[in-house]
Amino acid sequence: MSAWIVVIIAAPTILIALFVGLRSGFTQSKEGKMLAFVGLLILPVVCAGLGFQEQMTRAESTKFCLSCHVMTGYGKSLYVDDKSYIPAVHFQNIFVPRDHACYTCHTDYAMFGTARAKMRGMNHLLVQYFGTIPKPEDIKLYEPYNNRECLHCHLGARRFEEANPHLKSASILADVKANRLSCMSSKCHDTVHEVGSLKDATFWKENAQ
Amino acid sequence: MKNIGRSLKWSGLLVTTGLIVQLLCLLRIHPMSFIAFLGIGCPLVAAGVGLYLFSILSQTEL
Repeated sequence: MSAWIVVIIAAPTILIALFVGLRSGFTQSKEGKMLAFVGLLILPVVCAGLGFQEQMTRAESTKFCLSCHVMTGYGKSLYVDDKSYIPAVHFQNIFVPRDHACYTCHTDYAMFGTARAKMRGMNHLLVQYFGTIPKPEDIKLYEPYNNRECLHCHLGARRFEEANPHLKSASILADVKANRLSCMSSKCHDTVHEVGSLKDATFWKENAQ
Repeated sequence: MKNIGRSLKWSGLLVTTGLIVQLLCLLRIHPMSFIAFLGIGCPLVAAGVGLYLFSILSQTEL
């Protein structure tokens, strides 16, 4: 939803609310009461609701996540020129939408997963503005990364199902799908953001010829 | 009538201020905008709406 819809509704609402506030005598008439009801109750609630929805959508954007200084290294890690860096590979090859890269991998693809992700995001905001900000390399996931998030996209894909390393033994794919064998912590795809060692890395320059 | 007039005036001003804050928060995609929207804009609008509801309910004779 575009922010313009909020602006288009909010602008006349402001005028009505201001008019009703400054000319309260007008509300003695039936038309005035109706105008006050719309301008001081219905439209403000609609505006706040649409604005909230817009803010929540914006909170899913990569730009939003990387606004905080502590996330700078994580943003840089998306441009590392090394195929072993899982986030970089996903970002550079558009396996995830670039404008929603953080959210796409760090939300939970389960019931109420979006709500949980939003609550975690709110917690991050509280820490950013009111808490003690940790060093970038000290930031850890709340719980081990669940294969469910990877399988949300990769499950059923030929490149995943028929990859040679996945077929080394009969149990690998079954264990991965059951989250018994982590995609990341089993020395398979265990290079992620690695923000502590980025100064030695080379970076991909987008649109470089 | 004087009291409800004053309540409506405050209600209108609170709603107006809240909506202006909410609109300003849409100018930038930034966590601070998000916080200001939730922490300032929404409470101001809620206070204005609440005051309006309180004023019309307090004037209703049962």
